[in-house]
Amino acid sequence: MTPSMMRAKVRSWLRSLFRRTRMEESMDAELQFHIESYAQDLMRGGLSSEEALRRARVEFGGIEMQKEECRESLGLRLWDETRGDITYAWRVLRKSPVFTVVAVTSLALGIGANTAIFTLAKEVLFRNMAVPHADRLRMFWWARGPNTKAGPAWGSFSRGRPGEMAGTPFPYALYQQMRAHNPVFDDLVAFKDLYKLTVTADGQAEPVDGMLVSGNFYQVLAPRVIAGRGINPTDDTADAPGVVVISDAFWARRFGRSADVLGRTIQLNRVPVTIVGVNAPEFRGAKAGGAPEVFFPIHLQPQVIPNPRGPLMSANSFWWLIVEGRLKPGVTDAAAEAAMQVAFNSAFHATIPDKTEKDRPRFFLAPGSRGLDVQTDDFKLPIYVLLAVAGVVLLIACANLANLLVARAAARRREISLRLAIGAGAWRVIRQVLTEAMLLALLGGGLGLLLGYWGRNLIPRLFEDSWSPRSIEPQMDWTVFFFAVAATVLTGILCGVAPAWRSTRGDVNAGLKESGQMSTGRSKATLGKFLVVFQVSLSLLLVVGAGLFLRTLINLRTMSYGLNPERILLFALDPPKSQYSTEQRAALFQRISERVDALPGVQSGTLSGEALLANNMDDNCYEPIPKPAGLPVQEHVFVNTIGPRFFETFAIPIIAGRSVNAHDTQNAPLVAVINQRMAKEIFPGANPVGRTLTECGAAAGTPRIEIVGVSADAKYSSIRQDVPATLYLPYLQSHDEDAGAMTFELKTAASMGSIVAEVRRAVRSIDKDLPLLDVRSQTQQIDATLTQERVFATLTTTFGILALILASIGIYGIMAYTVSQRTNEIGIRMALGARAGQVLSMVLRETSLLAFTGVVAGIVAAFGLTRLVASMLYGLKPNDPLTYGAAALLLLGVALTAGFMPARGAARIDPMQALRHE
Amino acid sequence: MGKPLEVLQGTLDMLILKAASLGPLHGYGILLRIQQISNGRLEILQGSLYPALYRLEHQGWITSEWGESENKRKAKYYRLTAAGKRQLQAEKEKWSLMSEVIDGILSAVPEEAR
Repeated sequence: MTPSMMRAKVRSWLRSLFRRTRMEESMDAELQFHIESYAQDLMRGGLSSEEALRRARVEFGGIEMQKEECRESLGLRLWDETRGDITYAWRVLRKSPVFTVVAVTSLALGIGANTAIFTLAKEVLFRNMAVPHADRLRMFWWARGPNTKAGPAWGSFSRGRPGEMAGTPFPYALYQQMRAHNPVFDDLVAFKDLYKLTVTADGQAEPVDGMLVSGNFYQVLAPRVIAGRGINPTDDTADAPGVVVISDAFWARRFGRSADVLGRTIQLNRVPVTIVGVNAPEFRGAKAGGAPEVFFPIHLQPQVIPNPRGPLMSANSFWWLIVEGRLKPGVTDAAAEAAMQVAFNSAFHATIPDKTEKDRPRFFLAPGSRGLDVQTDDFKLPIYVLLAVAGVVLLIACANLANLLVARAAARRREISLRLAIGAGAWRVIRQVLTEAMLLALLGGGLGLLLGYWGRNLIPRLFEDSWSPRSIEPQMDWTVFFFAVAATVLTGILCGVAPAWRSTRGDVNAGLKESGQMSTGRSKATLGKFLVVFQVSLSLLLVVGAGLFLRTLINLRTMSYGLNPERILLFALDPPKSQYSTEQRAALFQRISERVDALPGVQSGTLSGEALLANNMDDNCYEPIPKPAGLPVQEHVFVNTIGPRFFETFAIPIIAGRSVNAHDTQNAPLVAVINQRMAKEIFPGANPVGRTLTECGAAAGTPRIEIVGVSADAKYSSIRQDVPATLYLPYLQSHDEDAGAMTFELKTAASMGSIVAEVRRAVRSIDKDLPLLDVRSQTQQIDATLTQERVFATLTTTFGILALILASIGIYGIMAYTVSQRTNEIGIRMALGARAGQVLSMVLRETSLLAFTGVVAGIVAAFGLTRLVASMLYGLKPNDPLTYGAAALLLLGVALTAGFMPARGAARIDPMQALRHE
Repeated sequence: MGKPLEVLQGTLDMLILKAASLGPLHGYGILLRIQQISNGRLEILQGSLYPALYRLEHQGWITSEWGESENKRKAKYYRLTAAGKRQLQAEKEKWSLMSEVIDGILSAVPEEAR
């Protein structure tokens, strides 16, 4: 068929469809004209007018049939029949509202769950940076082995090949050098994601994430700017006035989207900068999952985030900037990587001349369409598991509906046999049954899309801490819509195909002859029983999953952490380094600590460099001096810098020696407390108190640190991790110039709400511009690290309950159907002397056989599948017998309960009535 | 002149296109025109005319318009489109090729007799 003919056909089809009345009238008039013209010609031949008209009509033939053929010529027949099917299906559905509501609700829940989780998956796993040609973006990476000494690095790292550490940060000079010698990219941009800057607008300070960008960032990546302009290369120079581009969210929140925001001055860590532009809402920086709100040139780094190394741009061996570029069209990845490896290698030696080839990391490129992406790998497994769970729920709903439809098709067997007998094609009958399933699917899908729209915000909420800004904002878009439509159509086909196939199978004669009550009904429900078994096995799979995740959460929540997290208020302070030197920061912390500890209601207060159980940690290498013979000479241990009363506040017992106290200041001798694990590893069988150690490789004459106490083991960064060897140092004796925020921990007597206001006031009285960061309780902090476990327990339990409900509907439906089909047989049995109890147990036996088969199949499936989530479990194996046993019992119980009502109905059959019922 | 011939299967579309190519005609007119040209030797079943007309219009080969008939009544007139002209030409060529081939087959004589 030629395209022009295709167009003509579509046009003609649409015209006759949308102007149906006019088309029908015109057809009538045309045929009428033909008959009358012919009649006139016949009259000319001498016939009377009545006779002529009669002959003309007879010779013309059946008008209605011709009209039908004309409609078929226009391609309207399928449409007309489908409309008929829909009207019919609609009438049938309205006649059984309970069936329809159950079917539509279960499909809506299934499709809604899938839509919501797909929306999340799309956002978390597949959302590209909102810039043109994101697919051509490539991220610059390096990997170094343990002995490669290229210089210190600041950024996120992941594992490369075995034995390697991979990272994305590069020194500024190296970036510039690569940029100058780049044959394959349009240009290279550099940026750095910054966590929690203090941004002051209209005298109000607020912690806000930011992004340092190179001067060409906006020109090369070309994100949309909705007001003003992006950062220009001239902004990113040493003497340029400070400028900033703000996010749409910040514009809305702080300036109410006022038009005169351009040209206004805000402060970034006390450094005044001028707003020159506003980003479009869809652009959320160059880090996946991040939401920076202020974008400013790299040259502002020395003022805004000063570093003891001086301006980082001139620190040639300090690796800190993320580099990304957009490939020129047509350049292959292999060619680009080869070219950039050469550029990197020569740039490395040119900018860091004191390093040898041995110290040079291996350079490679990775996809950069999502920008800097360190979260995707962590989210992949959980999201895929959620997608699978939602898919299983939809499958269960489908099986359930298919089952109900099969039962109904069987009830309509005589009608369908009749239709087949009088000449309806099998395909015509199949289409009719499919239409009914599709109509249900469409109703369910429409409702499901609404549910998904609502759930799209609900599921990310489950993932968030109460004290952090929202980072995941899934958007509904066409892909989601098409996903929902595809899921709906697939559902309709899956639900409809079994009953449709069933309805045309079998002997028409037998179908016509068979009475309403089939005495051989037992064998006829095979398909329905298979579907119930399938449903039960999928439900068992979900219930096992729910059990595993629930028990994981309970294990994590009830285990001993080695510390008491109750009634501890946490908040962090990060005084800007542009204002406070390292010494001044320590003094400030000391003053604030003294002030807040003295607040009424605070039982004990302390502070630490890292908050506990927040998935953060510091580590370093220490070696005992003098070295004990035959022992590991040095060891990487977890380090936390702490204030006085740390162990008292968290109720961590001191086993030997003393804890860190207020006398361990800058001028006092260096001391440390170690935990039992570290004591056992470094000084096995000996008393470590009084021993000394230093950092690995410290110059001779460096003051030694004396171990003054041993604490009981307590968890540090992660609940899931075993207690690591831990070294606690007084924060006043720590000289880490890169140290970030300090977390304060206050054990309170009563409610925390009132204390927070007091603490705020106390901190403000010392520095009125210093905001309290991440205010939360220690238990909230623990819950936050358990977010994923909680979400999984919640969702799988919800879905598990849903599956149980659907399974019991399925079992009830199939048993009620079998009983109704066997009324006759049961009547005979009872007439022959079967007691009610025997009939009851006969039906229940059948139910439990179905349930048992399903449970066994489900256990086999669960054995295979739960292994995939082994890494997400804690404190139990994926084939935990207790969980499996409980799930199996639960399902058998639910099945017997669902089967009980039909069984009781069967036992109450009155033999006389049943026999007359024929 | 004996009993009129029935239209050969598959040629009705071509005949309608040809009739319409001679000038705008209504359905009844097309019927009469074909009979007239064939001197009444070809008869078109009235029942197959309109489904064929609708099909040809659906395919974009003819187009229709309401106009006034010889006896001042409203009638639907069919006209050949550009695509229809091409189609008619193609069918004509196919037809003459086909009749040539079939003639050849039918006029064959036994080998030995040559």
